[in-house]
Amino acid sequence: MATMKFLCDTKRCIECNGCVTACKNENASALEWGIQRRRVVTINDGKPGEASISVACMHCSDAPCMAVCPANCFYRTEDGIVLHNKSTCIGCGYCLYACPFGAPQFPKNGAFGARGTMDKCTFCAGGPEEDHSEAELKMYGANRIAEGKLPMCAELCSTKALLAGDAEVISAIYSERVAYRGAKTQLGSKPQYHF
Amino acid sequence: MKLTRKSESAVTVEKKTLGISRRQFMKHAGIATGGIAAASLMGTGMMRRAEAADVPYDAPIEIKRTICSACAVGCGLYAEVQNGVWTGQEPAFDHPFNAGGHCAKGAALREHGHGEKRVKYPMKLVNGKWKRISWETAFNEVGDKMMQIREESGPDSVYFMGSAKFSNEGCYMYRKLAAMWGTNNVDHSARICHSTTVAGVANTWGYGAQTNSFNDIQNAHAIFFIGANPAEAHPVSMQHILLAKERNNAKIIVVDPRFTRTAAHADLHCDIRPGTDIPFIYGMLWHIFQNGWEDKTFIDQRVFGMDEIREEVSRWTPTEVENVTGVKEEIVYQAAKLMADNRPGTVVWCMGGTQHHVGNANTRAYCILQLALGNMGVSGGGTNIFRGHDNVQGATDLGLLFDNLPGYYGLTSAAWQHWTNVWELDMEWMKSRFDHGTYLGRTPMTTPGIPCSRWFDGVLEEKNKLAQKDNIRLAFFWGQSINTGVRSRDQRDALDKMETVVVVDPFPTIAAVLGNRKDGVYILPAATQFETQGSISNSGRSVQWREQVIQPLFESKTDLEIMYRLSQKLGFAEQYTKRLAIDKATDTLVIEDITREINRGMWTIGLTGQSPERIKQHTMNWGSFNNKTLLAEGGPCEGENYGLPWPCWGTPEQKHPGTQILYNTSKEVKDGGGNFRARYGVEYQGVNILAEGSFSKGSELQDGYPEFTDKMLKQLGWWDELTAEEKASAEGKNWKTDLSGGIVRVAVKHGCTPFGNAKARCIVWTFPDKLPIHREPLYTSRRDLVSKYPTYPDMQIHRLPTLYKSIQDKDVTGQFPLIATSGRLVEYEGGGEESRSNPWLAELQQEMFIEINPADAADRGIANGDTVWVHGPEGGKIKIQAMVTPRVNKGVTWMPYHFAGVMEGESLAPKYLKVLCLM
Amino acid sequence: MFSAVCFANGGAELAQHSDAQVWAQLQQGAQGYTTSKSEFHNQPINTYDLRVLEVRDLLAPALIAASFGMIIIFLLFIKVNGISKLHHGFSGKMVYRWSKFDVSIHWLGAIPCLLLILTGIGLLAGRFFIQPYIGEGAWGSLVYGAKQIHDVVAFPFMAGWLLMTVLWAKNQMPKMYDVKWFMVVGGYINFGPFKGKHPDAGFANAGEKLWFWAFAIFGLVISATGMILLFPNLFEPSRTISLLSLILHGVSAIIICAFSIVHIFMATAMSEGGMECMVSGYCDENWASQHHNLWFDEIKENGTLKYKE
Repeated sequence: MATMKFLCDTKRCIECNGCVTACKNENASALEWGIQRRRVVTINDGKPGEASISVACMHCSDAPCMAVCPANCFYRTEDGIVLHNKSTCIGCGYCLYACPFGAPQFPKNGAFGARGTMDKCTFCAGGPEEDHSEAELKMYGANRIAEGKLPMCAELCSTKALLAGDAEVISAIYSERVAYRGAKTQLGSKPQYHF
Repeated sequence: MKLTRKSESAVTVEKKTLGISRRQFMKHAGIATGGIAAASLMGTGMMRRAEAADVPYDAPIEIKRTICSACAVGCGLYAEVQNGVWTGQEPAFDHPFNAGGHCAKGAALREHGHGEKRVKYPMKLVNGKWKRISWETAFNEVGDKMMQIREESGPDSVYFMGSAKFSNEGCYMYRKLAAMWGTNNVDHSARICHSTTVAGVANTWGYGAQTNSFNDIQNAHAIFFIGANPAEAHPVSMQHILLAKERNNAKIIVVDPRFTRTAAHADLHCDIRPGTDIPFIYGMLWHIFQNGWEDKTFIDQRVFGMDEIREEVSRWTPTEVENVTGVKEEIVYQAAKLMADNRPGTVVWCMGGTQHHVGNANTRAYCILQLALGNMGVSGGGTNIFRGHDNVQGATDLGLLFDNLPGYYGLTSAAWQHWTNVWELDMEWMKSRFDHGTYLGRTPMTTPGIPCSRWFDGVLEEKNKLAQKDNIRLAFFWGQSINTGVRSRDQRDALDKMETVVVVDPFPTIAAVLGNRKDGVYILPAATQFETQGSISNSGRSVQWREQVIQPLFESKTDLEIMYRLSQKLGFAEQYTKRLAIDKATDTLVIEDITREINRGMWTIGLTGQSPERIKQHTMNWGSFNNKTLLAEGGPCEGENYGLPWPCWGTPEQKHPGTQILYNTSKEVKDGGGNFRARYGVEYQGVNILAEGSFSKGSELQDGYPEFTDKMLKQLGWWDELTAEEKASAEGKNWKTDLSGGIVRVAVKHGCTPFGNAKARCIVWTFPDKLPIHREPLYTSRRDLVSKYPTYPDMQIHRLPTLYKSIQDKDVTGQFPLIATSGRLVEYEGGGEESRSNPWLAELQQEMFIEINPADAADRGIANGDTVWVHGPEGGKIKIQAMVTPRVNKGVTWMPYHFAGVMEGESLAPKYLKVLCLM
Repeated sequence: MFSAVCFANGGAELAQHSDAQVWAQLQQGAQGYTTSKSEFHNQPINTYDLRVLEVRDLLAPALIAASFGMIIIFLLFIKVNGISKLHHGFSGKMVYRWSKFDVSIHWLGAIPCLLLILTGIGLLAGRFFIQPYIGEGAWGSLVYGAKQIHDVVAFPFMAGWLLMTVLWAKNQMPKMYDVKWFMVVGGYINFGPFKGKHPDAGFANAGEKLWFWAFAIFGLVISATGMILLFPNLFEPSRTISLLSLILHGVSAIIICAFSIVHIFMATAMSEGGMECMVSGYCDENWASQHHNLWFDEIKENGTLKYKE
């Protein structure tokens, strides 16, 4: 089986936020104002060395969120996509503390209010509900994987910086670019959770 | 400009803790304002709004090919429509421009199918209240008012503000509407964007457009951005730019006062002082000439007037350049060396170059740099002038301008005659539409109107200072966000002073709410471009067909229908649609007929071969065009350039493949080759200005030659190659006015460019500055340079008095020490009325802000996120958030120009809500 | 002219960092600008010690051990050792030991504490030993219910904890004789060298004092960390602080849980007559002299001894 991953090529990312609104667009039915499953972060903003990276759930092979969830609401699909069951989620927020990428988000109901159910990137693979059911659409958004498509964010990336797909395929694409650039970067220098 | 802190206590950015949904928000807003939610439940007879979630997943899907409406890159996408609802958006990986990629705006395009903030039906402001009216009432009342004004003040007292969001057909019909109404007071936002480019560049080598294509940048070895920030303004173009960087190791040089997101990807960033483009370019040329890096053969054969440039450049020694621009000598040298060492190189510019009082001189300076390097007319070279709006190239081409008829024919009697011929109308009737008085020595029909940038001066200026009969009394704001203009106070006063304001737009724009008036404002709901169809031209001159995705939402009508109805009301529908078929069932215009009429008249730029059938064929065969060359490698369009970029010579039947790269002598004219245009005669002060020893491949005239006329064909002995019919049409005409296209056909057949073969010129003897001359900005912070590099004297330009010297003479640097610059955010576009209405985008940028250097902020005690007042020397002020960042240098600030809705700190939201209450 | 200088100095004014430099910065937890307003979204990769998560993996088995393990040990202990009987049987004379208020604050803390232990076990370890055996829906309701109860009863628990800690501390000060108490394991061992030993004890014996102070300290930790976890919007903790809170909350829970089981066993099964103290507030005179001889002597002496009417 394929192992689905995201990879953002920081040399190509121009912080256009296309991935962010692509996600909003595709998963509109499940998202509300204030919840961004994907965001672009620019380090060294406005200075030499400025670089941007698009970040969402990285669908870790050894996912810390899964390890800490009291409700054990996470599961991994056979494609290696980390999904969660919103009906089981209790909104404790532990996954947010454990996640290195800040992927889980909670709609808040007030200053002290308990968190709502967690929302995060689904790799456009919906959730545990029946594929394309109304429940899936409303709770998780699109299920492009079931349609044989890749996540919208990567598909609409303006400069093809954000890659999504089988780990081997996207790392091959990235390696080729790195080779073109003549850089000495090795794949090993990327965060451990990318693969 | 100056900044003062608003309050003593530091205002920090409030953490967004309200995770309420949009629906909840509407509900809350309803409670707060007395029942929006309730109002929205009523009167929805014509509402066709539906959410994707309301459509079953397995409803049959129709796929529409449409083009993003945000910028001029022209990205294609597939829109999925189910049960008439726009339910999905899929990437068009086969589209030759974007290969499926989109920026934030393109990726959020489907929201146009929701239309949450749309104007839903025609409305009229009565006694401070918005009243719903019928379309019929709207046309009757607006039409009657227009006729009354025409009676009293003449046709020039009606102003037609148009839009680059129209399709080509819309632009053309809008210009035609104004023409047949009898005025040149018609313009659109190209005036405040690339109009200086068009003037500067067209006067250099013939056409004012981007010379190459976005895709062709993949072939560049150096990319020189000056006043351009494609990473935010044209994000998808970065696909090609970064490919060039990756594959060719192309060097990227960014000249910009601000460290832009594009500069983050550059090899060299040159932070010039705003307004010193010409000294910077001359500084580079100084090194180029000094080191002999110029392309001497190219200059000898194809460039006129370079010696005068050399002489001017010799005065711009490295020391003086450093003094004026603030850029170190080594950096200027490096920029020159990178461009010299890495050829072909392309030059890209945008508003950073054009929005200056010496804007066209700036653009000419950039052209001169490319001419010196011999980078013109080659793949990977050229001046890639990125246009702003999705169809601003088309709007400019089709004469939605105050100084032109479609096709840059100008406003001369000959130009009017040409278009009257195209329309098959009587010239006397055409003339009868205009005011034939003489005002300040000018006659309205042949005098450019009032520009988009100064419509309010047409309202407020004293009557006797205007070169027209009376002030503007009624204005249409048709798809234009006036907040992109300057002097908001004057704009507000003008809105108040006019008798009637007509806003035609999908959204309730700032023009509808800025004024303090209680009546006389109409808001007419226009359909978006996704609710109609038509052709559009991208920045690279490629024409694409945009399919209709959905039916107009609510009671919206298409631009073309509104124009047609107005012409009916105003009594010239017969002339307006003389050659156009009418769909009897709906009494609307057949759009393809309009495209054909465009083809019939647009000889100057060769927008003649792009028939609706050919454009549609290209659009339906995206996949057959190569992403790098833009050529169809097979299929029905084989050998053609995508979108048939003009000039696409001759009639559609001649199947010209379009010209992707202008002035390219390595190709035959019939294959898209060419040379610089002979537009300014054949000699200047006795010196030949035609090309010498350079000609396009396969040309039978192997030297420079003037533009083709009937006489020239006869002299060459090619006259008899015309058919009898063509001869009848061509007699007494030239390549621009021969409606049969015979002259063009024969010229191309002999390998010649119909517009002649001349040199590009570095000097423009008809301009106030013959060669680009540095002049200090009107509000320069370098007072010491004013006497050496002064601006122009005040002058009357067309219909309006225009101030230069009297502004510059006042030293305001003590009170306003900071320089204000502006630009785009990637999430929004133009005035932002459309993109800010999209919640997916609005969520990302919620606050208007000003970027300010940490040092300047510290001097004023401003912290990041503070609310500040920004004051301008003309008395305007805005209250916005401070963003403290090293992105801007000390002494320079930057603001996005997309925001509206707050006037001098006072929120206009209640006024918008009054509009929304009715919706 | 300048070329030698310029290009020797690393070429053009390089505005960019290499791929490797960018990744290195990101891995070091670089923060940046983002349009997202969500928590922590300005940092692409959070840096924290992953061992924190490993520690947490031990918490669930430890809690299970602390609760069920302790119960088993105690059951075995009672089986082998037998309970601590009153040597002279019940006297029937009840000595005043706790006020009604003391009894009520005890239960104010104790009942929520029991609920917190039960729901806490469910939250920390339920996924291992409950979820596999029930349906997803039932598990969802169970764990949701557990969280709701856990969140709500935390407040009475904290009130009880605070009152007990503050009001009872004066009787819980360690004394020298407490050391001796530990030497003979409180006199509860009914075999070997410890058999028949009766160490001195005041109002509270050394074991109770240990429990009290453990409860006071870990009660504080568990309350503080619990608040951090429950009200992130109020305290805005960093993710590391939240994770540490999570660990400390668990560790404290294990300790309190283990002590609680001992405490419950001592009061109910092990120490004959002990439970009565927290029912009526009175204890049997024989129980008092056997287990808290110094206190009994003291109240007899200073005349505060009070019998039940």
